[in-house]
Amino acid sequence: MSPETESKMDGCVACGQTACSQRDFPIEWEGDHYVSRREMVKFLTLGSFLLAIANWATAFGKRFVRRDSTQVKLLGPAKDLEQNGYMLFRYPTAESPCIAIRTPEGRFVAYSQVCTHLSCAVVYDKAENQIVCPCHRGVFDVNQGTPVAGPPTRSLPRVKLELRDDQFYATGWKA
Amino acid sequence: MSLRTQGTTLFTAILVLVATTVVLQLWLLTFSMEALLRGHYSTLIPAAIASTVLLAINFGLLRYVFRFDREAQRNLER
Repeated sequence: MSPETESKMDGCVACGQTACSQRDFPIEWEGDHYVSRREMVKFLTLGSFLLAIANWATAFGKRFVRRDSTQVKLLGPAKDLEQNGYMLFRYPTAESPCIAIRTPEGRFVAYSQVCTHLSCAVVYDKAENQIVCPCHRGVFDVNQGTPVAGPPTRSLPRVKLELRDDQFYATGWKA
Repeated sequence: MSLRTQGTTLFTAILVLVATTVVLQLWLLTFSMEALLRGHYSTLIPAAIASTVLLAINFGLLRYVFRFDREAQRNLER
């Protein structure tokens, strides 16, 4: 290493000036990194305070996510939904995609189409008679909407269906 | 045992306790979020109350640390 480079890194030996790095970042790192037990307790208590607030916010957050829509929406004629077939619809708003399925046994079921894992759109797999999320291979039971394989842990929200005069209606969410 | 050694042991123990309660609060928060998304609303308020109790314990311990320091300072001045 040349003497010139050395003086740039460690400061000039002749004049005693500080190194470039110390002039650019005049932070005493030893004092900066030292955290006493008392400071750590204070910091953790502050964190604890924030966590308690977050917990209360979650408790009151149920007002914003509650699925208690009782809106009635016409989906179409029942004959349009053939056995072992499915149809897509939006309920209760245009931003909420849902899927109605007629199982091979002839039962009508409907669920939110939003996967409970990472919100991909689920699809009906006719061959296997199950609901599948193509993003991460999540699988849901077609009769209950419960997760049976893959990463999802929560059931798909279920839409109540009613058949009136051979017409399909979505009438709310099942708990 | 000197006051300094006692203080070091005590504060290490308090630090471990506070850290444990914070981890518990973190767990309660993730549990609450999961319950919220599942629609199990009945568990949300008890979880928030439990979190507040843990916060009160932490505040109590912090208050004890301050009081211990104050008393140690007073003893040194005598």
